[in-house]
Amino acid sequence: MAASVREKQTVALKRMLNFNAPPLKNTAAEPVWKVLIYDRFGQDIISPLLSVKELRDMGITLHLLLHSDRDPIPDVPAIYFVMPTEENIDRICQDLRNQLYESYYLNFISAISRSKLEDIASAALAANAVSQVTKVFDQYLNFITLEDDMFILCHQNKELISYHAINRPDIQDTDMDAIMDTIVDSLFCFFVTLGAVPIIRCPRGNAAEMVAVKLDKKLRENLRDARNSLFTGDSMAAGQFSFQRPLFVLADRNVDMATPLHHTWTYQALIHDVLDFHLNRVMMEEGAGAEPSPAGARPKKKSRKTYDLTAADKFWQKHKGSPFPEVAESVQEELDTYRAQEDEVKRLKSIMGLEGEDEGAISMLSDNTAKLTSAVSSLPELLEKKRLIDLHTNVATAVLDHIKSRKLDVYFEYEEKLMSKSTLDKSLLDIISDPDAGTPEDKMRLFLIYYITTQQAPTESDLEQYKKALLDAGCDLSPLTYIKQWKAFTKMASTPANYGNSGVKPMGLFSRVMNTGSQFVMEGVKNLVLKQHVTDWSSVTSQETDDYRYFDPKMLRGSESSIPRNKNPFQEAIVFVVGGGNYIEYQNLVDYTKSKQGKKVVYGCSELFNSAQFIKQLSQLGQK
Amino acid sequence: MAVDRTLLFKASVKTVKTRNKAIGIGFDSTKDEIFKRTRPKSGFSPKAKEVITNITKLKDFLLQHRKDYVSAGSLISSDLTRMTDSERDQIDQDAQIFMRTCSEAIKQLRNEAEKKVTSSQIKEHRGAVLDLIEMYLKGVCKLYSEQRAIRVKRMVDKKRLSRLAPEHHSQVEKTRAIEPTEEKAVKEESSEKSTSEVLDNTVEHLWEEGRVEDELSPEEIQMVCYLRQHCCHGTFHPFPFFLPVRQIEGKVVEISRLQEIFAEKVLQQETEIDSIHQLVVGATENVKEGNEDIREAIKNNAGFRVWILFFLVMCSFSLLFLDWYDS
Repeated sequence: MAASVREKQTVALKRMLNFNAPPLKNTAAEPVWKVLIYDRFGQDIISPLLSVKELRDMGITLHLLLHSDRDPIPDVPAIYFVMPTEENIDRICQDLRNQLYESYYLNFISAISRSKLEDIASAALAANAVSQVTKVFDQYLNFITLEDDMFILCHQNKELISYHAINRPDIQDTDMDAIMDTIVDSLFCFFVTLGAVPIIRCPRGNAAEMVAVKLDKKLRENLRDARNSLFTGDSMAAGQFSFQRPLFVLADRNVDMATPLHHTWTYQALIHDVLDFHLNRVMMEEGAGAEPSPAGARPKKKSRKTYDLTAADKFWQKHKGSPFPEVAESVQEELDTYRAQEDEVKRLKSIMGLEGEDEGAISMLSDNTAKLTSAVSSLPELLEKKRLIDLHTNVATAVLDHIKSRKLDVYFEYEEKLMSKSTLDKSLLDIISDPDAGTPEDKMRLFLIYYITTQQAPTESDLEQYKKALLDAGCDLSPLTYIKQWKAFTKMASTPANYGNSGVKPMGLFSRVMNTGSQFVMEGVKNLVLKQHVTDWSSVTSQETDDYRYFDPKMLRGSESSIPRNKNPFQEAIVFVVGGGNYIEYQNLVDYTKSKQGKKVVYGCSELFNSAQFIKQLSQLGQK
Repeated sequence: MAVDRTLLFKASVKTVKTRNKAIGIGFDSTKDEIFKRTRPKSGFSPKAKEVITNITKLKDFLLQHRKDYVSAGSLISSDLTRMTDSERDQIDQDAQIFMRTCSEAIKQLRNEAEKKVTSSQIKEHRGAVLDLIEMYLKGVCKLYSEQRAIRVKRMVDKKRLSRLAPEHHSQVEKTRAIEPTEEKAVKEESSEKSTSEVLDNTVEHLWEEGRVEDELSPEEIQMVCYLRQHCCHGTFHPFPFFLPVRQIEGKVVEISRLQEIFAEKVLQQETEIDSIHQLVVGATENVKEGNEDIREAIKNNAGFRVWILFFLVMCSFSLLFLDWYDS
């Protein structure tokens, strides 16, 4: 993969926006204007990749939702980017009848069926608009890329393919089929965009196996149909040397239930856990003043602010995986450098002021003119930098407030110790009964991790004690019922999850991380440093697990044997978790990739949830 | 990899047509199509497209003659390929006039669009279209000003090489000449309002610089002649004088660049300051009216009180009178 998935998807989108022609490199080309119409799926796909300014630069004057009220703009071509569902097709036919735009370029996110195409055709005929429908394309972009090496399947209707939907006890076969079809469709689109046919490996006996079987079948069918195969053609000829096929590892959420419940310590994962973070956008409430408003005055309105954390934000790219204290330090450093540059500019101003009184003293300007030019031209960059620093300061302060109020560092340390089976210095009961350490949800998470990771189940009396303490703290016990079932089930199955050697080095209690004068004084918060945290997935990528099934869609005969034919070590791997994933696993994979030279790992999951959402799903399952 | 389904779509259209014919549903296709052709000829987008074609014409014209314009001209100059200065000036003037008319047309379109519009979506769309056209125009103007800058620089170099006057004289002349041009440019820029005219100003500024060089040369030529007469015996090394001159030249070019940036920023701020001024004026008026109202209210309050007191006094007097009358 010379280009990452994100770049490939962006290129595909830009091509689509240029009326499905490759975009020209000529910068002073004539502007052509168009209108972009998308549905919610299309919006989720486009928003992490292209900003509004980039859309404008490509000539898009208006971008509208498909199901909103749209006025006729009679002399403009319209580009549609929608899913081929019934309602969307109906709405498109309605638009054709109402003659809203001059020409229509229909792009469907995944493949459209023949019958729906005929529906559009009949509507176009009825409206005499057949000549206006200029192009119809299947884009095969039914997945959302969040980072260069991370993707999720969907954001809109994720309850349909959530962990709850897959694992609920009253699920019918038809429902399961539908869910599997959706997942396989998106994965198929992913591989088409990537332009490579992977080798599939999956564990036995769970949802991941079903997905693997279906995906293998779909890829095989497509490859066999050599005329219409999506994997030949100019994607291969684009200078990519794909001698190495990527390895696609499917995993099921049920293998490792503790990681989504884990409290985190890295920046991106913390933001996802603690704040409202979707599709690279953070939403926070600002102006939450600590002092109560004076009587008689109107209460201070809390404005909601949204921040976009994009690929262009260098600070974010550098620090999204660092532990939180490091992030705080770096923000402080950035602020200092910014202030130094600002002072430099101001100093120039004063120098200029002095020189202005001295007529004809141009010879004394020496290199100040050059400095002034560079200062003035670097002003926009400085302003941008300031904006980013403000953004990260706000976000980090919000996160820090949460950490302090819920004592998340205590939980993190304790859970790390639980998961690495090292000695515990405080008993679990103490932490649960501690009234000001965290919300009931935090305590529930901690207890579930304990329950999942103990080798032998706690005795009945212990369990009763814990349950009582949890109920006192106000927790809901239904997740526990489900986890009990799950544990019973997995005990019958293969080996328990191996959490690897995770080391936690506490660097002194009550250490002041920041020097004085900074905003991030973390008194009482331990400065914990994460060591290499190797999880289960990395062992699979190094092909240590042999009892996984093996699928190769390029082989002519579908073999049921699980003997891996290809023993070469893989350079690229794609890890996909069926049932949901989160940023902790992503971060672990990124760290693992950094340690192994020359290997690239892409992480994907069917949905992205944080611990709160996961607990909700577990409690729904426990109540059944 | 996107898959083109257009052919499949057209095939489906044919299928549906044949199916409809078989069932017996017919459509008056031909009549409506003829009616549709009469689209509004003088709508917004044809005009916008016209402006774009004009700008493209200008761009093609500039690019076509660019090579000739920029060519340094060798010693063995063939008259066919080399442009005279007057031709270059002609091109410059034409280009400037063209750019001005284009920006006028854009402004006009914007005003029209504001007036006639019915829905907010169409308004937004038209605004964005006009922004795109303006950016395109700016791109083409940049082409032009680059060309111009090369030409001016070359003229400056030529003048410098041909000048044999001592260092101080040229410096002083330069400073004296450059300050008035900068002042003139600043005055002109402060009296104009739109950014596209800033482009024209930068163009004019470069033009001014070129003209300044021409004004210097007659005097310089006199100096050179005088020096030649009196110093032709003995070796005359002009090189030590050129280095500081070159430095100053470089600085002057940078100052002009800074000038452009500042002028742009000042113009941007000017519109904002205008709007703030309007707001402030409105606010003072409101405050004045508020004061008037308060005064009125006080007066009414006072008057009301006076009437009450009067009424009470009259009542008490009448009571006393009745009392006296009765007793």
